Amino acid sequence: MIETRGLTKRFGDKLAVDRLNLSIAEGEFFCFLGPNGAGKTTTIKMLTGLIQPTAGSARVGPYDVGEQPVEAKKLLGYIPDHPFLYDKLTGREFMAFVAGLYQVPKERYEALCEPLLETFELSAVANQLTENFSHGMRQKLSFASCFLHEPKVVVVDEPWVGLDPKNIRSVKTYLRRRTQEDGLTILMSTHTLSIAEEVADRIGIIHRGKLLHVGTVGEIKSLAREPGSLEDVFLELTRQAEDEAALSAAGVSPVGVG
Amino acid sequence: MTREAPMASSPSPGPLRALLKAKKEIAIHTLKSVQGESKLKVAFVSISAVLLLLGIYGGARLAFGMLEIFGSELLGNAQLSLGDLVMARLLSTFALTLFVLLTFSNVLIAYATLYRSREMPFLVQSPIPTSTLFLGRFYECVSFSSWATAFLGGPIMLAYGLEAGAPWLFYPALIAFYIPFVVMPAALGSIVTLFAVRHVDRLRHRWMPLGVLAVAIGIGLFRSFRSRFETPDLSDPASIQTILDLLSTSQNPLLPSQWLSQGVLAAATGAHGDALFAFLLLAANACLLLWLATLAADLWFTPGWSALMAADQQKPPSEAKGLLTRLERLLKPLPEPARSLTIKDLRLFWREPSQWSQFLLFFGIMAVYFANLDPHRQVVASLDPRTWQAWGTILNLSASMLILASLTTRFIYPLISLEGRRVWILGLSPVTMRQIVRQKFWLSVVTTSFFTVGLTVLSAFKLDLNPVAFSLSVCAVIATTLALSGLAVGLGSLYPNFQEDNPSRIVSGMGGTLNFLLSLIYVVLVTAGLAVVLLWHDLEAHLGSERFPWVLGAVLLWILALTVAACRIPLRLGLRHLEEIEL
Repeated sequence: MIETRGLTKRFGDKLAVDRLNLSIAEGEFFCFLGPNGAGKTTTIKMLTGLIQPTAGSARVGPYDVGEQPVEAKKLLGYIPDHPFLYDKLTGREFMAFVAGLYQVPKERYEALCEPLLETFELSAVANQLTENFSHGMRQKLSFASCFLHEPKVVVVDEPWVGLDPKNIRSVKTYLRRRTQEDGLTILMSTHTLSIAEEVADRIGIIHRGKLLHVGTVGEIKSLAREPGSLEDVFLELTRQAEDEAALSAAGVSPVGVG
Repeated sequence: MTREAPMASSPSPGPLRALLKAKKEIAIHTLKSVQGESKLKVAFVSISAVLLLLGIYGGARLAFGMLEIFGSELLGNAQLSLGDLVMARLLSTFALTLFVLLTFSNVLIAYATLYRSREMPFLVQSPIPTSTLFLGRFYECVSFSSWATAFLGGPIMLAYGLEAGAPWLFYPALIAFYIPFVVMPAALGSIVTLFAVRHVDRLRHRWMPLGVLAVAIGIGLFRSFRSRFETPDLSDPASIQTILDLLSTSQNPLLPSQWLSQGVLAAATGAHGDALFAFLLLAANACLLLWLATLAADLWFTPGWSALMAADQQKPPSEAKGLLTRLERLLKPLPEPARSLTIKDLRLFWREPSQWSQFLLFFGIMAVYFANLDPHRQVVASLDPRTWQAWGTILNLSASMLILASLTTRFIYPLISLEGRRVWILGLSPVTMRQIVRQKFWLSVVTTSFFTVGLTVLSAFKLDLNPVAFSLSVCAVIATTLALSGLAVGLGSLYPNFQEDNPSRIVSGMGGTLNFLLSLIYVVLVTAGLAVVLLWHDLEAHLGSERFPWVLGAVLLWILALTVAACRIPLRLGLRHLEEIEL
């Protein structure tokens, strides 16, 4: 459902994403892990059409994001870490606006809007201006509006900011259920490794723009020299990559380990 | 290498309708939010706006009436008025000036609206064809750039219609002419911006507005240089032909401003056929330019947007380089926390070119004008040179003060609000609100006085002022800088809007409007006092020359009292409010 081929993005001298090849199947919950500045958000921005790649291509469903952006975006739902809402619109008006942007038929909108507001516990506040919403409420409205056009692929960038534990649990359960029951494909970038460990079908670790490892949680954990949590494995793998990069910069070939 | 834009797509009505509907709802909620504002503030702003409109209408009616009477006497022909001769040229000159100004302002507005608006990332990742996205934002460009002209020009055209005895159709026709007329510069401005962002790498950030400024100043210099050789003596009836010839340069039949003025004049005289022709000419060209702008958006927006986003991700310039760093070094002697706060404000200001380019544009144009002043130029031969000099000084000072009023409203008033949702950082830090308010005030005084005092000194030298007039001008402009800074910081503290990150939206609220109106009142009152001293050689015959020291003292006291009131009262009220609110 998501496929990237040699996807590359260069910001001046800095190589933010380096020939990324990634394939995510329909109904898969894929978690993207990596330290700050690893290239996760840049990859997501290329997938959502916010920036164009320097080289390579990205596909969402059958559509190339660069060649058929409108069609690709119709399949896509995107929830950024800091969602944008119009402050002077109420929650319901914002939902109606998003439905208009995605050209959701009126009947579908009416059938979906209230259940989504209900699911994300926004029904009681949906007639208030969003300027009065807390960050968590804004995030939940962003989730609700994202599912209004029934996307086939949802890209989520660090979605847990501002959500309380109860909401984190319900959002997590909702996303998992949609992948299992409706075949929704999810690409989630997160730093919350325990959640990734819990929900992901597969995990990709990206570092300095390169995809280091891809696999199921078990496969990723097996890469570590000693058994541990995903957090321990993640730290070990990224540290190894740092060491190799430092040796490479110094002109020394890394010695094989393990 | 960045890839080219996807193939051009036709606009989609569904998303465009949704976008426009959302904007309408936002406007309604914004208007409703006025109910939550202080009643006194709303009443003051509303009454002032009505008075302003009435004042413009009254002034315009008087001017048009005088033009009719004065013209008939001067020409010695009761059937022919100067108004008849001049109006067509005056209108086309005004329309041409407006067209050029709107084109320039639309370059900046299009940059802010298409590339820098907070909602753009949200809209770009939505499945909207680029042309639809452009049209949705273009509508905002047109609204932002043209509402003020419509607001201020409306009463003038109403006065003209009533004075000329125009038929009722003239008034709706004005609206019909105005819409395509303002669409054209908006489309041109958008095309320039889309092209510049896509193709001119070096202009992408701070250099783009600088380029616009350089072009504006270049045109100003060229025009002022030319006009220097063509100034006629207004007291000579033969000069009328020279003036008519000068004004006729704006009557080129290929200029949209000429189509507008011809249409308006035809509508005023009931020549419906000519009016309709002018309207169709305007509408057809507006549609053509809008179509071209949509094509330009399809071609250039996406790669330009992507490149601009990528440019934002690139490493910032080295700390050792740049004007800003040099400026920061100058601030080293300042005590903390004023230094850190000032550096933060300067950085935010510098990194938003659409903000400071307006500042430079205003003062740049004024500097060009002042540099071209000639104290020996006699527009009317019979006029006492001292009167010419005094009026020149009064007009220059009031122009500088008015620009300062608009700039303190635009840039200083939002400073407290721009602390925004992060205001708790200051609230929790060991910095008192008094220190914050004081820092904003002095930042405003120091930065703006660099321009205002500089311009005043330039103007005084060019007009060859005597020491008293020179000192008074400089004192008045320093007082005005203190007063308007105090007013802007004070009212900005009294009516902060911590929810909004966009300074232009903060200013467009009731508090910003109140600040501008009070600034205008201050400028008018100070200018009135100055006029008494500067025009003393005309007044002394009536008031007695021995009274000059007393008059000078009274005027200085008047300016001092106004300045203290404009500075202290809002600052005190604003500080009290900031200390009382819960962050």
